[in-house]
Amino acid sequence: MTQDDRELQEVMNQLSLLEPGPGDVPKPASRALAEVQRQIHAPRSTPLHTFWRSFFANSNRRMATAVALLTLVFAFALSFPSVRAAASDFLGLFRVQKFAAIAISPQQLAVLSRIAEEGLMPGEIEVLSEPGATHSVASLQDAAQAAAMDRVRTPSLLGDADTVFVMDGGQARLTLDLEGVREILTMAGADPSLLPDSLDGTQVDVVVYAGIELDWDDGTWLVQMPSPLVTYPEDLNYVMLGEALLQALGMSPDEAARLAQQVDWTSTLLLPIPQSTANFNEVNINGSSGLALSSLDDDYGAVIWQQDGILYLLSGQGSVNELIRLANSVR
Amino acid sequence: MMNDSEEDSVTTITDNLLLERMSQGDVASFETLFHQHYDRVYGLLFRLVGNRVEAEDLTQEVFLKLHQHAFAKNRFSLQREHNLSAWLFRVATNMGYNAIRGRKRRWQRNMVLVPDPQGSPNAEREVERREQETAVRNALSRLPERQVQLLLMRQMEFSYAECAEACGVAAGSVGTLLARASKAFRDAYEEETGERER
Repeated sequence: MTQDDRELQEVMNQLSLLEPGPGDVPKPASRALAEVQRQIHAPRSTPLHTFWRSFFANSNRRMATAVALLTLVFAFALSFPSVRAAASDFLGLFRVQKFAAIAISPQQLAVLSRIAEEGLMPGEIEVLSEPGATHSVASLQDAAQAAAMDRVRTPSLLGDADTVFVMDGGQARLTLDLEGVREILTMAGADPSLLPDSLDGTQVDVVVYAGIELDWDDGTWLVQMPSPLVTYPEDLNYVMLGEALLQALGMSPDEAARLAQQVDWTSTLLLPIPQSTANFNEVNINGSSGLALSSLDDDYGAVIWQQDGILYLLSGQGSVNELIRLANSVR
Repeated sequence: MMNDSEEDSVTTITDNLLLERMSQGDVASFETLFHQHYDRVYGLLFRLVGNRVEAEDLTQEVFLKLHQHAFAKNRFSLQREHNLSAWLFRVATNMGYNAIRGRKRRWQRNMVLVPDPQGSPNAEREVERREQETAVRNALSRLPERQVQLLLMRQMEFSYAECAEACGVAAGSVGTLLARASKAFRDAYEEETGERER
């Protein structure tokens, strides 16, 4: 036996401490298999369904994800379309034209998760109509009709989708509770005094329109939906809100102040990306700016972009370059 | 008696037959593969996460992924030989590390491979054993993931060929990589126990 072999053997002996002990015997394989089979046959959630549900479609989840909602509301409030631009002189309206990603550190994510777990809310949320119900439809024409879209865009480089879903839209109203928002900001390490007292009781309305999801059997999926609409009082200081949000996402006060002034909050959808889960970079899709994300955990990626008032999210396995190629073929 | 590589090729052929049947919709083949690989996948995950319940859940996740790949996504091409063990252990290692990262995020811990603090052993010997176990885990947490995977798989008596495939290295380099990983572990363990004594 060589010296290397002897040393390796010693290490193997030390590692044997990690072996399961008598109390660590797993449940019998037959029981584990039965549980796996139950999960296999559980009703399927589509990626789009999961996407929305994780934000606010499910009431239990809704109460537990104050931070996700806060982020969503900020992001939406700072983003949306001018479909109703002429509707009222007293409302602010925004359209998503571009995207900006901000990396969140594992430490800040832990802080935000703790806030979510404590169920802190930025105000009262009233769901006027619940989004998220997903229906399978037989054809693209049926999907377009059900989602009230003129037509369904498809990537020419892929064949026909194997499944087509339509997801119902919905509507919600958030009445901001300044104390709640300040508590969240304080916990997140942001400066609560950035928010003026006048913010208390501000109403923010979010309308999510019906969307369409195309699924391919190789795991690729494409979601498309008109930009959601957010309305809020015209005098809302969104630069200040943006600065608070950036601080809550982990930026230093100086960085947050500088970036809040630089970002065009009337057209930029801010996407917080946990550092430990994905890489991201800006991309150009059919002449529009977008973001490409690649997962650090597996070989999945996603591309998100906006074109002609429609938001697109394309995801699948393989290289990001391949996804960008597919995204560029969406017509 | 078969040697390492003969045994591997027999296993691989059997697995490939079962995978082929799975892709044709044969549920029984999935069940057979599950029973064949369940204990070893669990064993690897337990060593990584140090907690029975979490290791059981992750083991189920690994097989759900296998099912999804084989049935729903047809990821296992029939024209290609697959080393299913290697695939399963690669997926299990990734999932184990993801779980540890999630735990780190939840608890804001700075160490990888920290055992979940389940139970509170009172017996002195058990406490000492847990301390040694923690030192081993902390030492492992200082190593690159691939070295940890290699050491744990070898400790579980995986063949060099399986280690090579799961870790994405050439079979011929496994011995050298193991020696290097072993040295790195001993250095880290010494540092760990030295720091604890200081």
